[in-house]
Amino acid sequence: MKFHRLRVAAACVAASAALLAAPANAQSASEIELARRLDQLAAELASVKAELARMQRERASATAAAAAASAPAAVAASPAVVASPVVASESQAQGSGIALGPSTVLTSYGEIHYNRPTHDSSKAVADLTRFVLGLQHRFDEKTKLVTELEVEHAVSSSSDPGEVEIEQAFIERQLARQWTLRAGLFLIPAGLLNENHEPTAFYGVERNFVETAIIPSTWREGGLQVVGSFDNGVTTQLGVTTGFDLTKWDATSNEGRESPLGAIHQELALAKARDLSVFGAVNWRGVPGLLVGGSVFTGGATHGQATTSSRVTLWDVHTRYTPGRWDLSALYSRGTISNTAAFNTPLVGSASLVPASFDGWYGQAAFRLWSRGDLSLAPFVRWEEFNTARSFASLGTGLTPDAAPTERVITVGANFNVGPGIVFKADYQRFRVSSDADRFNLGMGWSF
Amino acid sequence: MRLVLAGTTVAALAAAPASAFAVDYLSLEEAQRLMFPDADHFDSREIALDATQLQALDAQGIRGRSARWTVRIARHGDATLGVVVADAVIGKFELISYAVGIDGDGAIRQIEILSYRESHGGEIRLPAWRRQFVGKTQAAPLRVGDDIANISGATLSCTHVTEGVRRIVAVVALARRNGSLP
Repeated sequence: MKFHRLRVAAACVAASAALLAAPANAQSASEIELARRLDQLAAELASVKAELARMQRERASATAAAAAASAPAAVAASPAVVASPVVASESQAQGSGIALGPSTVLTSYGEIHYNRPTHDSSKAVADLTRFVLGLQHRFDEKTKLVTELEVEHAVSSSSDPGEVEIEQAFIERQLARQWTLRAGLFLIPAGLLNENHEPTAFYGVERNFVETAIIPSTWREGGLQVVGSFDNGVTTQLGVTTGFDLTKWDATSNEGRESPLGAIHQELALAKARDLSVFGAVNWRGVPGLLVGGSVFTGGATHGQATTSSRVTLWDVHTRYTPGRWDLSALYSRGTISNTAAFNTPLVGSASLVPASFDGWYGQAAFRLWSRGDLSLAPFVRWEEFNTARSFASLGTGLTPDAAPTERVITVGANFNVGPGIVFKADYQRFRVSSDADRFNLGMGWSF
Repeated sequence: MRLVLAGTTVAALAAAPASAFAVDYLSLEEAQRLMFPDADHFDSREIALDATQLQALDAQGIRGRSARWTVRIARHGDATLGVVVADAVIGKFELISYAVGIDGDGAIRQIEILSYRESHGGEIRLPAWRRQFVGKTQAAPLRVGDDIANISGATLSCTHVTEGVRRIVAVVALARRNGSLP
């Protein structure tokens, strides 16, 4: 059919050319008539060219489709901008006319730190803190895989300090307009930082203490999660996951003092899973620039391997407000571990017993002081108070450990952003209790 | 306790609308009808920016990105009500498709998100966030952290869509000045 139309058009062109080539007739070949015929010829030529172009496009599309069938994963060269503002036909959702983009995307973030204690420069360290590669693959317009592979401290071997971790590995399926299901290893929606932990997303070289010591960022569990997003600005996240393992508490180590839940998280590495946990988070963004939310996570942590059952519960409330150049945020989080007395009794005298409660809060203010093009400078100040052993269950007079002192830290510094994907940072941290830890930090990070 | 909360999750799933579909929220045709309900037809027009015009955009700090744009002109009879331009930008990792409706005086009439596929940051669909653009013209900064408030957890999506809107407003203004658009 297409070739038939092409032949007809070509015949018209030939006929017109023949007409033009015919001997001039004094009555019919006036200048006006000649111009009309030229216009007709031009239109027919344009028609033929359009038909030819359309056929070439169809042939190219068929070739591309065949190539895509044999190699469906086209890695995006750069996620910065799309090549054309016009929706690309070869990557449209079926029937929707809307671009999907590449089906497989490579992502990365990482950060390099330099920490220099101001009272003891011999403890200064430089570290490639983390390097993360992410791979996302969209199976169809409703289903995708999200993964992140992380290397901490540059080198991982039996004689090096590094670790290799899978930070995320989950399938996400859009169930309906407002509901999404996730299954696999995903980040728990707690606080402000855990799900948004890239270096370009937070102020200061190091992540804040409350969201590392109390909320053990980057905290992930394996399980199922349902996300609901509503037009009134409310986002809800509910799920059933693996939880903590109290039986791995090492009373001879200081790790539990630094982060009680960081010491007993499982990260889906042969995780004990007799006791499952549940979580819920609600965030409201109904006013532009304002976020108010909270979360709770609770679950058994002994998995039938201790004489008594213990439950770990962690909750938080948080807010962030970004009017104009300001970026203001505050968070409070509290965790509890039940029935710790029986667990601690045989450990009396050890370096660290299991706390019954731990908590912390911070307030932070940042201001975009200067910007030019894609460069911007934002000084910030953050005040934190946290206690990783706010209380212990009573073991009797003389045996119950004293609560830990509440640490207070002020951090003053600035983020210097180069576009949305690169940040350089500098700050100074002063500790009220562990004043030996006062330090100056430099850092750089990227995310795309 | 575990069973009760797990049951709640299952109930929430069951309460979801039965028809499953992708994260395409609107087609362009639906979006343009929402933006210009009084229009009785839309004419599609290709506009092409020349090198001088692209340089003019660049001088405004706007990357022209493409010389060719498809603009849909909303008409009621012979009267021109405004234009609609569809575009797509990368949010954090994936494409966000959106459309901008612009009145005859160059003021933004409406922003609609056509599709969103990121795992986080879908809140840019919120009407309250999109309403910030309404009434703004090329004279407005149209920048996140300036006259457009950010959404916590969706910074890149907000930034890139806002950049895209600023570009479209500038392109339409340029096309109107040179007579390519009514």
